[in-house]
This record gives sequence, C-alpha cells and structure tokens, in this order.
Amino acid sequence: MLRKVLSTSLLLLAGSSLVSAQENVPIVSGGAGFLGATNGGASFFQPVVAPVLSIPLGNQWLIESRADLRGLISREDGSSGPYQGQFFGTLEYLQLDYNATSHLTITAGRFLTPFGIFTERLSPIWISKFQDAPIITPIGTGGSYNDGFMVRGALLSNSHYAVNYAAYFSTLSTVSNLESERGAGGRAGVFLPSTRLEIGVSYRRTLQGNHFNSVGMDLSWSPYRTPLEIKGEWAHSPSGYGYWLQAAYRLSQLAGSDSFLSRLEPVVRMQQFVRSEHVPGDSLPSSNAQLPEFGLNYYLPHEVRLNASYGREFFSRSTDVNIWEYGITYRFLFPMWPGGSR
Amino acid sequence: MRQRSVVLLAACALSNLLVGVVLAKQSKTQNPPPSQSATAASAEGEKRFRTNCGRCHNPPEDISPREARAVVRQMRVRAMLTAEDERLILAYLAP
Repeated sequence: MLRKVLSTSLLLLAGSSLVSAQENVPIVSGGAGFLGATNGGASFFQPVVAPVLSIPLGNQWLIESRADLRGLISREDGSSGPYQGQFFGTLEYLQLDYNATSHLTITAGRFLTPFGIFTERLSPIWISKFQDAPIITPIGTGGSYNDGFMVRGALLSNSHYAVNYAAYFSTLSTVSNLESERGAGGRAGVFLPSTRLEIGVSYRRTLQGNHFNSVGMDLSWSPYRTPLEIKGEWAHSPSGYGYWLQAAYRLSQLAGSDSFLSRLEPVVRMQQFVRSEHVPGDSLPSSNAQLPEFGLNYYLPHEVRLNASYGREFFSRSTDVNIWEYGITYRFLFPMWPGGSR
Repeated sequence: MRQRSVVLLAACALSNLLVGVVLAKQSKTQNPPPSQSATAASAEGEKRFRTNCGRCHNPPEDISPREARAVVRQMRVRAMLTAEDERLILAYLAP
C-alpha cells in the first residue's frame, strides 16, 4: 500500500515538474545586424549577433545572459589599403535573479550597470535608435559591466506613480572577458504612468585606484496620444560632464497605421561633453565635443529594421568630422527546444 | 401543529432561496466567470505593457505562450515590475 502511495506521488510530482518545465521553457532572443559607418572618411562594417539566453526556474528564479559577438571590417590604414577583419566577443551579463518579493529582486553574477537609462534599457541593437552609444556613456558605468551583487525592484507602485530602485556592489575582476571594476552605486527613479514620464538619478562611487564619484540624471517621456519618444541623460564625473537628448517620432499618426510612411521614424539626438581634466583610460573624448545627429529608421515587417543617420562631431582641439551610419537589424526570439503549443 | 410545521418549512425555504439569490448575485459581481476575468486581465496586461515595456520597444510580433513566461520574467527584472505586473502582462502576451 505504502509503495503504491509513494509511486503515485512520484508520478504526480514528475508530471507536475514536466508541466512546469514546459511552461518555463528557456528562450533565446536578441538582435542580429549588419552595421556600416563612415567616420571622418574611414569606413567600417560590423556584422553583429547579440543573443540573450533566458532560463526561468520555478516561479521566482531566472538565469539570463547576453553576449555581443561582433566583427570589425575596416581598411588597413583607416581610409586606404586592403580591408581586414577582427573579431570581438563580449559577455555582457550572466546573472542569477531571485524575485524575493513583489518589490525586491536579488541579482548575483555579472550585470549591466544601473546608471542612467541607456546601458540597461536602450543598448540592444534592435532597440537603440542610433548605432553608437552616447558619448557620455562611460561616465558612471565603470566599463558598463559589473561582477557582484545587486538589489532592485519597485519600491512603491500604484496607478498614479511608481518608485523604482537599484543598488549594487561590484568587485575587481581581471579575468579575461569578465573584467569588472570595484565600485558601488545605484539608481532611483520616479515614474508617472498617466503621462509615461520617468525621471531618475544615478550615483556611482568608484573604489579602485583614485576613488571618485559619478552622478547622473535621466529623463524618459513617451506621451500616449502621440508616437513621440523623448529620452535624455546628464552625467558628471571628474573627467567632465555632458548630456544627450533624443527625440524620435513615428509617422504612424500622420500616415495611418499600415501605410508605407507609418513605418518611418525620424530621430534627432544632440550630445555634448565638456572635458574637465585628463583621466587616462576614461573612454571619453579627449577635448570638448558636440555631436548633433539626424537619423531615419524604417520598421519592416517581421522585426526587421533599416536605419541610417548623419552626424557631425565638433571637437574643440581637432578637426570636425562627418559621421554617416547605416544598417539593418533583426530581432529574434525562439524557444530552446521545439514542442508544445506555439 | 402540522400547519405550523408547514409554515416554518416554507419560511425556511423562502429565506434559503433569498439568501441563495443574494449570494449568487454577490459571487457574480465579486468573481466574474473565468473567461470574463481572463479578458479583463489581458486588457489590463496590455495597458501595463504599453505603460512600462512599450516605452522602449514594441511587443514581439509573434510570441507563443511557451516563450512568454521567460520574456515576462526577464522584463520584470529589467523594467523593475511588480509580481502583479508580471502576472497581468503574461495574461496579455499568453492569454
């Protein structure tokens, strides 16, 4: 009798875990693309694949990881000579998330720095409106990737407002492809759902070499009544300070939802950086810089997007350059194994 | 005596009927049928998707219920959503 009960229980347990495994099927998503650019007369081409692996475990756990696999094809001497290729592979994050409560997620592993909004939210190639990251992105991000611990979530959330937060500590790592700086920081934001307006503040204390603070503010506004997106960041560190402000307008409101024009999205971005002092290896322009950019994205069916942009970078201590960029991106999503109901 | 019992029984039956009607009405207003409740959750989920996730990107053009759970779990971490947001957005993406 006991054996019968045990075997039935085991069967039920196996059955329930099978059902759970089917519901929690891991997925591979992300973006792929072919990007081209001419920067001051030098041409580059970059085939890119950035797969994201997501493995949900039970109701509270998630393993997620993103890699950036990129080739760089350029002329030997910049603007002349034969083309040559290099390959770069970066593990951008590999983290274990535990949803401890409705308002708290604990993360361990390698993760993107929660400073501002670009690195965490807008950096995937299929989301970013321009190919290049804003020039102030290195401020406060400590190389963009951290190895350590993080807590995050929505402190308060209701239909009128939401307060979100992220706080982390990262340790020094010199392991190849898992490099990280020792530092601590976080971001807090207030989001108003009725207007889709969010304002955030960020802070990072770099605890390696010369200790210093970086601070930042970010803004994101997407009104409901018009397909307009306005986003921007301001950041300051001992290297200097700067901002970027971007507006994107999808023509769907003017041209109807299914027309050729409705898939067009003009974008404009203005950036500025003011150098305060020379800090070796800070990945920022060596002198004051301004960069207005104009872009045009076209959203094809099946998650394909074409983009093109023109910008002119004004440097205070060197020659100004024209930057032409163009590319095609594809957003993909599929389960790691077939079966079940699609 | 018998007449009194019949009246008592009739009164009990009537009161039971009334209580039953009231309870049924209450349960109808408090717990709508599953399909109605699922539709409401899906509509609220769409609203929350547009409010939170839709600020950065469009919904996937083609997503199956099997894939939706992982996608929404990931969004919960990235967009700092609550457990309720996760449940409702899942109801929208995988009705």
